[in-house]
Amino acid sequence: MKITEARPYVVKNLKYALNPSSIAVVGASRYPNKVGNAVIRELQKWGYQGAIYPVNPRADKVEGLKAYHRLQDIKKPVDLVFLAVPAHIVNAIMHDCVAIKAKVAVIATSAFKEIGRGDLQDLITQYCRDHELPLIGPNLVGLGTPYAHFNCGFIPYLPVPGTVAMISQSGANLLAALGTSQENHFGMSFFVGLGNKADVDFSEFIEYGEQDPHTKCISVYSEGLDSPEAFLKSCKKVTKPVVVIKVGGSKIGNKAAFAHTASENPESDAYYDKVIKDAGAYRATTWQEFLDVSLALGLQPPMMGDNIVMITNGGGAGLLSCDHFERRGLPMHELKEISPLLTQRMRAYMPMFGSPLNPVDISGTATPIAYKGAFQQAYRDPNVDAVLGAICPTAITDVAAVAQAAIDVHESCKKLHKPFVMICQGGGECHDAIMRLRDNGIPAYATAEQAVNAMVALRQYGKKVAKK
Amino acid sequence: MEKTYRIGTPEMQEYLKKYYYIPHGLGFVEPGVTAADAKEYVAFNIAKSMYQTHPEVFNLKYVSKQVGIPEKEVAERITKMYRNHYMMLVANSSVNVYGWGLYYWVVKLKKDATPAQRKELSDWFQNNDQICTGYAMEAGGEFDFFNGNHMRNMDNLVFGVLDKFRFRDYIEYVHIVPVRRLIRESHVNQFDALKDYRHYFWSDEQKKNVLKFQKKMDATDFAIIDALNNTPSIGDTFDYKVLGELSGLDPAVMKKDLCMVVDKDKCRMPLIYFNYRALGLKMHFFLVSFFQNTPTWRSEQIADELAENPAFENIFDFCDAHHNMILSAYEDITDLDALRKDILKYGEVAEVLEATSARQFRRWTNRLDYEDGWYEEAIFTDDLLQDHSTESPVICPNCKDPEWNDVTDKKEAK
Repeated sequence: MKITEARPYVVKNLKYALNPSSIAVVGASRYPNKVGNAVIRELQKWGYQGAIYPVNPRADKVEGLKAYHRLQDIKKPVDLVFLAVPAHIVNAIMHDCVAIKAKVAVIATSAFKEIGRGDLQDLITQYCRDHELPLIGPNLVGLGTPYAHFNCGFIPYLPVPGTVAMISQSGANLLAALGTSQENHFGMSFFVGLGNKADVDFSEFIEYGEQDPHTKCISVYSEGLDSPEAFLKSCKKVTKPVVVIKVGGSKIGNKAAFAHTASENPESDAYYDKVIKDAGAYRATTWQEFLDVSLALGLQPPMMGDNIVMITNGGGAGLLSCDHFERRGLPMHELKEISPLLTQRMRAYMPMFGSPLNPVDISGTATPIAYKGAFQQAYRDPNVDAVLGAICPTAITDVAAVAQAAIDVHESCKKLHKPFVMICQGGGECHDAIMRLRDNGIPAYATAEQAVNAMVALRQYGKKVAKK
Repeated sequence: MEKTYRIGTPEMQEYLKKYYYIPHGLGFVEPGVTAADAKEYVAFNIAKSMYQTHPEVFNLKYVSKQVGIPEKEVAERITKMYRNHYMMLVANSSVNVYGWGLYYWVVKLKKDATPAQRKELSDWFQNNDQICTGYAMEAGGEFDFFNGNHMRNMDNLVFGVLDKFRFRDYIEYVHIVPVRRLIRESHVNQFDALKDYRHYFWSDEQKKNVLKFQKKMDATDFAIIDALNNTPSIGDTFDYKVLGELSGLDPAVMKKDLCMVVDKDKCRMPLIYFNYRALGLKMHFFLVSFFQNTPTWRSEQIADELAENPAFENIFDFCDAHHNMILSAYEDITDLDALRKDILKYGEVAEVLEATSARQFRRWTNRLDYEDGWYEEAIFTDDLLQDHSTESPVICPNCKDPEWNDVTDKKEAK
């Protein structure tokens, strides 16, 4: 249901959704192949330290825990109620949630507005609003945070700890992001599936993300922006970068969005594009771009100017980058235009056949020492706003050592508050280097275009910061 | 407009009008069947999810009037009976018209089968989620298990379930008995009964004797179950206003829909299951075989005549099997000699095998093993679209315990 601005009581209570001291799981099944059982097991498996109260009217024990027949039987404070029950009894359980004064309710259940039960969804939502009980969902996969070892839902893994808050209407895409997190060292601060987002809206999680100390980038997967006014206000209010991937713009995608999460997109895609732009958020157009940009914004400071210096041992990566920067409206400048003195200094780190143009090609023979020196020079030059490094694994390139050089420079120059992004094009050793760089706070990618997109987003964020 | 041949309409097949779904093949789909999670069936699903803590989902006013006690007491007694595992709200579906065959099977162990082997088999049946119901004849008799599956086809039953144990050394035989007519189950006349659809039967003798046999349930408790099971319409079984308040859905629509599914289309049947085992009762089975030259019409006539006797709690009519029907009654409170004579009076009867069960595994997919904390856990492996003949390993006659454990305990058992 539509809101015009984030509601303070919702934003205030979201801390109980992501860091609850106690959870009641209604629909906690005894059978391991049922959702309600999986929720309990995942909470236990990932080391959640709070109290877990399984609720099942048929059982006395679930996964070794005492089970309660009704929420009212618990007799202790419950922060979060997670519902894994059929849609037809959700209304009754929500009344129980209010009766026990739960702080927040999360409804995993499907079969509401998306199958034509809009009236029922609205009835439950209005009841929750009347009683100031934030309702997350329905029709979602779960939520959690690695910082509290909290995995609440039917989600097989927690992400690695990091700085990106992942707010997704789609459970499948959320799971994909979580899988990416484990596999590709994509760190998250918290994650939440919003599903039909009947009550709690993007805007409220965006404002919560602003308050969350671990979050540095707020990333939103949206199938429908049905409260654009609230979204706009919240995005303008927060200082942290917001990345949005908004789908459902195609003719059939519009219908699919409704069938999936009951999302309605009455306006043209151009309208939503403008809303996102006016909000100062970055709109990604592909899932990969969404992840890449989120990673960069979560790890790096904003880029406060257009002067990017690229240092590479491969001309190909440089050219791909040059062209893509220009396509994205952030053309690179020759190094002599940025800093004539830096051009001279760079000569020391390349053979005579290298090029100080920008990209600075320190050649395929570049050693880790050459890389380190070039990175340092670029980083420290006051005219340079950001550094993009690229590694091409020639037979004599020690990829791991170059990555370590990048990490050392990044660490020593952090106080300069300039973005540093890396490209590692190649095989297994490059993949390993990417992971290592990411683990040390440097967004690193396998292709030039990914890195360029990341830098474009950092620049866009820099402009937003400058305006404020 | 083109005909849809939907059940419950004049376009319904002519042959369905007498025996409703009989005669029919096994495992075919009729237009108009209602899925278990369909909106038309939601009233039952609300009640099934909530009656454990909200007995007021039942039509307490109606029951109160029938039984002659206050509504509050009806509610308290329902809760007590549930918590003590004497009753359970369940539902049966006319699975044959949903695209499944209803395949029961009789297992006979060799005389030298050990108690450990018997237990091993019982435990496997209990935990096998493909088996929707079943009885262990632990109290002795001429056969040892009577279990049932509803499956897409018989190959799935054979490959997916039976082949996993039937070649073991201690098995004498496994006879498949596909159900042609589901006449009575758990006291209630089912979809293929000639008359008295949804009627709940107890003989006067049983009603009297059960009160002497045990003290856990009194006459009022039994009367409550009787009242709920014998409502004139499913529209009288539940309090739809309460269902509406709990769910937020429209009571009138829910009632109309459920009446259509249960009373008119006869696709599904909610009922109260009486868990005889919790009271210490034992179920005695008569497995009846006719001479092979018995014509079908006569076989069905006999089944219908036997069904006039309210003492039979279960009556299944089989086809394409060694046996023609199975009937059962409580050993402890019924004159079994009289029932035996009732069956043997027919000259068509070639053989009657008898056995007694003190343990039912499940009731329409709901687990009954409350001792292990599983009471009412409803689970069923949806067989639709699966082909077990390509994936299911067969246990060869010489297989020994490690293989048994590998195939059954790890892959099938919970």
